[in-house]
Amino acid sequence: MKNIAFVTFLIISIIIFAASTFIDKNNFEINENTPVAEVLLQLGEPTPDHTQNKETTKDLVAIGKNIVLNGLSSKTGEGGRRQSKHFVCTSCHNVQREDPILSISDPEARLEYAQQNGLPFLQGTTLHGVVNRESWYNGDYDKKYDPRKIKPAQTDLREAIQLCATECAQGRELKDWELESVLAYLWTLELKMDDLDLSNADLQRIENGINDASQRSELVQFIKSKYSQASPATFIDQPDNLEAGYQLKGNADKGKLVYDLSCKHCHENGRYSMFVLGDSKMDYRFMKRNFTKYTRYSTYHVISYGYATNGKRQYMPNYTLERMSKQQIEDLRAFFERESE
Amino acid sequence: MKKITIILLAFVCLTHTYAQERELVQRTFKSTRVINTHSVETLQKNKLDFRVGHRFGDLAGDAGGWATFYGLENASDVLIGFQYGITDRLTAVLTRTKGAGPHRAIVNAQLKYRALWQNDEMPVSVTLLAGTGFSTMQASENPEALNRFEKYSHRFSYVYQAHIARKFSDRFSLQITPSYIHRNITAFDIDNDIFSIGAAARVQLSKVYAILVDVTAPFSEQHSNGDFTLPVGFGLEIDTGGHIFQINLTNAQGMAETDYIPYTNALWAEGQFRLGFTISRLFNL
Repeated sequence: MKNIAFVTFLIISIIIFAASTFIDKNNFEINENTPVAEVLLQLGEPTPDHTQNKETTKDLVAIGKNIVLNGLSSKTGEGGRRQSKHFVCTSCHNVQREDPILSISDPEARLEYAQQNGLPFLQGTTLHGVVNRESWYNGDYDKKYDPRKIKPAQTDLREAIQLCATECAQGRELKDWELESVLAYLWTLELKMDDLDLSNADLQRIENGINDASQRSELVQFIKSKYSQASPATFIDQPDNLEAGYQLKGNADKGKLVYDLSCKHCHENGRYSMFVLGDSKMDYRFMKRNFTKYTRYSTYHVISYGYATNGKRQYMPNYTLERMSKQQIEDLRAFFERESE
Repeated sequence: MKKITIILLAFVCLTHTYAQERELVQRTFKSTRVINTHSVETLQKNKLDFRVGHRFGDLAGDAGGWATFYGLENASDVLIGFQYGITDRLTAVLTRTKGAGPHRAIVNAQLKYRALWQNDEMPVSVTLLAGTGFSTMQASENPEALNRFEKYSHRFSYVYQAHIARKFSDRFSLQITPSYIHRNITAFDIDNDIFSIGAAARVQLSKVYAILVDVTAPFSEQHSNGDFTLPVGFGLEIDTGGHIFQINLTNAQGMAETDYIPYTNALWAEGQFRLGFTISRLFNL
């Protein structure tokens, strides 16, 4: 009797052990809408600090969207108090994909992509996929801000959002619930597998690799190679000789694109600037005349260094090389010269 | 007055809906005032305009010349005040003027509403203005004086205007301004109510500089008799982006509508015109 009981117990244990092994196998399926962050988690990557529980934060998305798109904050997600008197997030940032290849920051390609997709061409990196990055305020932005503010912002997205709210947008600091709401909205802009332009074979390989520990590291690197973990930023210097410029032949048609999609985004009808620019010959002549002057009105100067006046919080942020190339600046100059005739 | 208000409100609602989807013509004038007269412009929402205006004394004539350093040592009127864009179409105005007529220390409160906005289907912009001038000066002991203010209501004057303007091109805009002024107290045998028609024009010379002109023709017996004259102004406007500066020459002594329209009596031919300037600065509020 004792022997029968023992054998029965052994058989049941074996069955339970085998069943648990079978259950442990991950059946995670990947399709084009699967968030990249989720795939990386499945591949063993650590959870980013700015991760939220989407179930508990789904009601915050509308509030965050109102803050980001309209600059207004209210608990209903409509109307409300302004975060900044001068700017909203979308003054400088798109909320859609803005690069044809996510891993390459090429302003020439981005301008063409912007034209094809009806996007503005802006100084700030898009918020699409900002939650997928591992660092923010990269490159030469170190030179621009107080190290006590920028160091935390470079490794913590919440700190980066607050730095943007107070310094870049010249507004007030976000309250905790506002910050979490903005983050909740930004998570809706996270990268999906479809954004990485992977083939079906790649997707299958990743899906299969989730259950193979030996492949995980390589797959993580592979996925991360498809988009930028950071946004490189190289500050430009204006040319030594403004008449000579950057000594590149400008293309006036491309310059018109820069003017329409970039300059006019802020300056048309006084949208974000009190210095109004439109499509009048007087505007073009003014811009042409001042392009090569050694004054704060020089376009070389304001693109390279931005524009600010003492005592006035509203300002113009500078462009980095990754956001406007020297060629594009010369294209803009060629456009003003052509339109001034 | 009630019927007029209801009609105006209905007009406002209809016109607001009409203009919503069209691309609107902006900057018919660069400022909310031309020289003496208001322009058709209203401020953008949440913008605050701080304005200082000054009219010196007569450049020439009996009260001008070297003795007063061509009027620079006198001030015929001074304006300090604010305008605020409640919405893109509705602007509130609050200014204080010294005053040049019989009433002084005037607080002017006005509302401007942009009823029509020029676009590809609407040939003009129209702004309606309603306001009051309230004299805060001390009442006179003289029972014959206009500032005796036997009744509190005597301190008030009212202005209603329609600014009808068209931006013909980036270089030229034109405005017509019919007005109605009511003064609660006037001198004996002088109309309490005055209708007038004004015109204003802007000629943009470059992105920064423009020439401005405005004139107002009141219809009253006193103006026909020559007791009062037409206020006319010429100005040079300088736009630096955020600031608008204006230097002008005008025979109008006062700066508020309830002042300069009924009370201007200066003659250009006798040197009774003056230098003036206005500085306005925009803030985001």
